Amino acid sequence: MECVAAGSIMVSDWHRSPDSREFFRRILHKKQRRKFGLLEAPVMPPHLKADVVRYKVFLSGKSGVGKTTLAARLGGLDMPNVHYETTGMETSVVFWPVKLRESGRTLFFHFQLWDCGENAMRRFDHMLPSCKEHVDAILFLFSFTDRGSFEDLANQISQIMEPSDRLVRLVVGTKFDLFMHTDVTERDITRFQEVWGVPVFRVGGDVSGGFGEIAPLLNALAENLWHQDCMQASTLVPSYPGQIGPEIIV
Amino acid sequence: MLHSQSVQLLCLTASSGVPLFSRGSAKPLPFSIIGSLNGVHMFGMGHDASLSCCETDRGGRVLWRVFHDSLMLIGASSNAEVSELHLRRLLENAWNCMVLVLGLDELANVRNVERLKRELRSCYRLIDMLLERGVDDLDCDGDQGLMGDLTHCTDCILLPQPDLLQETLESFTRAAESEFGCLLVRGRLAVATEKWWRLAPQELILLSAIANLPPGKTSCDYPVFLPQGSPNVALRLMCFQLLPGAIACVLCGPKPSLHQVENEQVCCFWSPVVDNLRSSLDQVERSPLYPSITFNRDVLCLLLINRDSRKSVASLGPTCSKSPPPLSPARRWEILRLFYTFAVTRYFTSEETPNSWCPPSDPLHEEFSSGFTHLPVHCYLLTDECKCYAVQTPQHQLFLLTDLSVPTFALRSVATHTLDVITTATGF
Repeated sequence: MECVAAGSIMVSDWHRSPDSREFFRRILHKKQRRKFGLLEAPVMPPHLKADVVRYKVFLSGKSGVGKTTLAARLGGLDMPNVHYETTGMETSVVFWPVKLRESGRTLFFHFQLWDCGENAMRRFDHMLPSCKEHVDAILFLFSFTDRGSFEDLANQISQIMEPSDRLVRLVVGTKFDLFMHTDVTERDITRFQEVWGVPVFRVGGDVSGGFGEIAPLLNALAENLWHQDCMQASTLVPSYPGQIGPEIIV
Repeated sequence: MLHSQSVQLLCLTASSGVPLFSRGSAKPLPFSIIGSLNGVHMFGMGHDASLSCCETDRGGRVLWRVFHDSLMLIGASSNAEVSELHLRRLLENAWNCMVLVLGLDELANVRNVERLKRELRSCYRLIDMLLERGVDDLDCDGDQGLMGDLTHCTDCILLPQPDLLQETLESFTRAAESEFGCLLVRGRLAVATEKWWRLAPQELILLSAIANLPPGKTSCDYPVFLPQGSPNVALRLMCFQLLPGAIACVLCGPKPSLHQVENEQVCCFWSPVVDNLRSSLDQVERSPLYPSITFNRDVLCLLLINRDSRKSVASLGPTCSKSPPPLSPARRWEILRLFYTFAVTRYFTSEETPNSWCPPSDPLHEEFSSGFTHLPVHCYLLTDECKCYAVQTPQHQLFLLTDLSVPTFALRSVATHTLDVITTATGF
């Protein structure tokens, strides 16, 4: 799956523009990110209707690389201050409003992030298939403080993805704030991007829960997923029954 | 005030004394002390004596316990407010956590110590949660008033009209190909299927704790071993955060997958009752008892236990009009825990199920019972912060804190009246 250039489909940095305020307000509560239960979704007034499109995103990476923290960061949750091994699979939900560049249509992306502890995945066979079931995108994580986790990326990508999988894949480097201890250089990253054609994002540091750090990643995810679905829709018969496309809730 | 730092939990292999982990304290005990703690226990074993507990005159306390001749847990505390019961429960709960996450076989037959050490890390989150229970409650208000870890009774919330939620839960559980299902509201059991209630109380408490997802996590699928029911075969505990604080759980076999239940069943079953869920969340904000129940305005908080079903409800008293309020909620919960411990270790001792490693005839603590053949049914305690009273009937136990202004002679009638009001109104 080739990656689309940032800003080619959706308005980049939309969260900074005034017309997005009404939409972002729905995912905030008392200046913090609103926490949604499974039965909830942002409610918009009738004149600002925005469809919700749902996608399943799997976070993959070695133990301790920061999968749970990334999920918390993207969802605006409290960041765990101690590292705990995740004892199984956990999911969390991120709603993210975007504006399509051409039509000016606004959408709420509903990302369901799947995070699975590596030990549990090794001990129980049903975990990985369950994470991959109907998955739309995979984020491959490595940590800037652990060179091993970066070198393992290629291995991971080939292990988890089958050649026939048509999935969005992005790479995220975590703990970028700990640059004093960094084990992975800019050159490594550039080379990796050239060889694999996968963009690499950097997160870490921002604990304020603002949108600045997560917006590029969420926008890229949304853009690539949308692009993937458009491609699929144009090559397949639109009402193909087995297709797992975006489920639109009106 | 208690601090989580005041209790430390150590785990070692029983035969060789290799330390496996240490939780609780910011400053772990030095290796030499851990070695001595293990050594003194081993010395006893060599002489056919089992060392279970020791106490210093300044209130420090150490408790040892060996599980399945394989692992030893040591609980150590330097704080006089940490009772022996508290430490004993902590060791039992910690062991049960370890079984829950890793299975009995892995723990009882240690093949590779280094591997076990690594795998035990998966238990830290649960163990730390237990260590923090009842201490430092201020920053985690969600956990306030949960007592199951100490009482080994399931923390419940009593809903005035549970039928609709009960039905919904049962159909949802069936749809998930299971017979074990429950609905948690702010960590308390609101409704559960009949089979769920048949699980051992210790299991129910741990399942409630592990299932109590933090807000923002929407679902989980954890492999769990039931310490009593299924110690060697893992089941899957799936939990779904329907609304922040309202969580539906099911225990399943290999099928169906989390994705399937979450996408096909959760909304279809639970959306129609979303208003009921919201009102039960509102209710627990005020009190886990019925909103219609009014009790004496001087009651600061109470804990009611049903001795047959091993269920409990704990509630703060009516909001006090006095300003400033005499005691913060966190302090009230803390005193309630201490009073519970005081009452069940000294007077209501039958609650303490005798077990092999710690015989019930602990002569040091039976000051009252010695020489008496009857069973105490009431007890009270006055402190400089509040007054405490406990009532025991064949079916119930009520532990109550009141304001200092209540005359001591009136405590008994306040307590019996409160017990009457709650049990007649709720049938608990």
